Amino acid sequence: MSSGTFAVLGLFSDAHKIVEAAKQIRPRKLGRLEAYTPYPVQGLDRAIGLAPSRLGRLVMLMGVMGAGLALLFEGWTSAVDYPLVTGGKALFSWQAFVPVMFEVTVLFATFTAGLAMLFALNKLPFFGHPVLHSKAIKDITRDKLALSIEATSATFDSEAARQALVDNGAESVEIVPVPAWDRALSLVGFLRIVAAIVAACVVAGAGLYAAEKLMPVVPPMIHMHDQPKLNAFRKSAFFPGGRGMRPAVAGTVARGHLPPAFATPEEAGTLLSNPLPLTQSMAERGRKVFGDHCAICHGPVGDGVPLLSRAYGGKPGNFLSNEIRARPDGHLFGVLMLGKNAMPSYAADLDKDDRWAAVHYIRILQRAQNAKDEDLR
Amino acid sequence: MNTSRSSLVRGFLLALTVIGGAGTAGVYFSVARERFWVNWLLWTLFLLTLGLGNLFLVALERLVGAHWSVPMRRVPERIASLIPLAVVLLLVAFFGVPVIFPWTFPAAAHNPILVAKTPWLNLPFFAIRLAVCAAVWMLFYVFYVRGSLRQDESKDPAFTMRARRLAPAFMVVFFFSVTILAFDWISGLEPEWYSDMFGVYLFAGTFISGIAAMVLGVLSLMRCGRLPEVQTKHVYNLGSLALAFTVFFAYIGFAQYMLIWYANLPEEVIWFKHRIEGAWQPVALLLPLLHFFIPFFLLIGSVGKKHPAPLRLAALSILLGHLVDLYWLIFPVLGPVPLFSWPELAMACFFLGLGCLQIRHAMGRGADMPVGDPLLCKGLEWQL
Repeated sequence: MSSGTFAVLGLFSDAHKIVEAAKQIRPRKLGRLEAYTPYPVQGLDRAIGLAPSRLGRLVMLMGVMGAGLALLFEGWTSAVDYPLVTGGKALFSWQAFVPVMFEVTVLFATFTAGLAMLFALNKLPFFGHPVLHSKAIKDITRDKLALSIEATSATFDSEAARQALVDNGAESVEIVPVPAWDRALSLVGFLRIVAAIVAACVVAGAGLYAAEKLMPVVPPMIHMHDQPKLNAFRKSAFFPGGRGMRPAVAGTVARGHLPPAFATPEEAGTLLSNPLPLTQSMAERGRKVFGDHCAICHGPVGDGVPLLSRAYGGKPGNFLSNEIRARPDGHLFGVLMLGKNAMPSYAADLDKDDRWAAVHYIRILQRAQNAKDEDLR
Repeated sequence: MNTSRSSLVRGFLLALTVIGGAGTAGVYFSVARERFWVNWLLWTLFLLTLGLGNLFLVALERLVGAHWSVPMRRVPERIASLIPLAVVLLLVAFFGVPVIFPWTFPAAAHNPILVAKTPWLNLPFFAIRLAVCAAVWMLFYVFYVRGSLRQDESKDPAFTMRARRLAPAFMVVFFFSVTILAFDWISGLEPEWYSDMFGVYLFAGTFISGIAAMVLGVLSLMRCGRLPEVQTKHVYNLGSLALAFTVFFAYIGFAQYMLIWYANLPEEVIWFKHRIEGAWQPVALLLPLLHFFIPFFLLIGSVGKKHPAPLRLAALSILLGHLVDLYWLIFPVLGPVPLFSWPELAMACFFLGLGCLQIRHAMGRGADMPVGDPLLCKGLEWQL
């Protein structure tokens, strides 16, 4: 009759009566049936003809998709994009992927359930349900049960609906008009909502900032935070001088780094001889050390012609010269250790065995460049 | 008509048991002793876990004060009557302990790991644990099942209160006894292996297979029309319980596997290596399929929990999965190839026949519903 009717509400106080009424009214197809009750009523969902929810299938689909995506993502990152063996496991270790797959399944499923229920199936956002503005809402939220016949078309007969509800035992009937949506949906209304959100953000942000500035921050868990131990770079009240880090005892030597027993290369030449036997692998090691550290200045064959440009200007020693050929092994070792002229010390770069291997290799170069006839046989 | 069919089934079960029994005797005298006892252990544990799982369901209902399951409670009570049978079989299995448990072998004295475990793994203490567990199970079985049958006549509500008060004690004792069962009789077969989770694993299998057996029992009684008041809503709740604990079992089983796989400690990993590689791999793959994927996807929707066909299929899958699970846990001690031949079939016939006869016997006792329980009415009126 009137196109301005949203629904006709009939109030009941007995759960059995409302179920019976719904069963009677539903076949008459007056409009869409809906019920509002302060507590769940058994069988009412079937009586008003509520179809089984599609939510379950949607959640299932998204859950399976979550599991599949997580498996793909983990498999791709750890076996294809950045293959890195961890703990000796295979690159594609599905066992390690399962916990994350499970989590993503749950994440997708719950988000789907929540969001689909709110936005897809319940059609939110929704600025206030018309029934909330009815007179009956106070009773519905207290002790009355309401059966509502909602208008589904312009030809909705509200008088017939009212009569049907009264005939089936409704204690009172109320016609709920279609609310004036434009009040909330107008530009002013929209701006008001935006302004309210902005204001809420500003107040919350300012409050949080003030709270953090004015009140001391209390860490929630401090069990492992404050330990009675010495931190290397922290102040300590335990030792005199207030230092947490202890200086090494005078004369302390790092393992495998005994200080040299000589002060000059010449002295080393008289004290030391090469302790390493000359073998194929030792020669290879010497060649590597020489190539990595010496050849850049002394030249690949040790003739003192640097690989660097002329602009370098240094005068590296020529290992092939008679002067250096005549020097004992210990002298060369000493130079490597202490440096000479423009050459820095290599003590930090090369360990003892590397240095001796390099000395071996220098001897090999010298012999190769001054080969005698019997060497060729 | 009905009685003739019933006697036919009875005759078939008797014949199955007798033939199986003869086969079992044949197995004892013709095949390796180890194989006989391992088979014996498998089937004893299968029947025992079904019985214990159903006794646990009965006690769980008492503990939480559930109403919905009261109309169906006679079913788990009857399946729990497998406990006395299985306890006898387990006591007999004690004679097989020196044959199949390596910690009883003379060589164990030279194994430092086993020597360190002797305070727990020694025959006197083992026998004491067995006796205590058997006594506890029998005690609670008699209390809950016989007490419920007596209540049919006496209609005494005091028993319901007593049963509820005793339930927490049962829970504690039950978890200890199932853990001991798992450690002693299954992981004790490979005593160098150890997993904290194993007791929980066997409990999860016990519980879910107990639910599956109850589902099958309820559905078959409903098909015969013997539970006319039990409605879809009751069955639906049972299906939900089955779904929840299918997931629980899978969670526990995978957690145990994944932690051992991750840590990769040789003495732990070797146990799984024997069970998931080589000829055992198909069995290992069958396990998640039967025990998780089939029942999970059958039960996940509301349709599967309400209708008898999918529910029965899921329950059968779980029960078969439980059997495969025990087979997979126990049989690898016999070798790297799964054994399945006439000895296994003969002993399966014998034990299945025994179990079915025992349950049929129990079905003759008392009404199909606990008619003396004051909560029965609430259970029938219960709404989802």
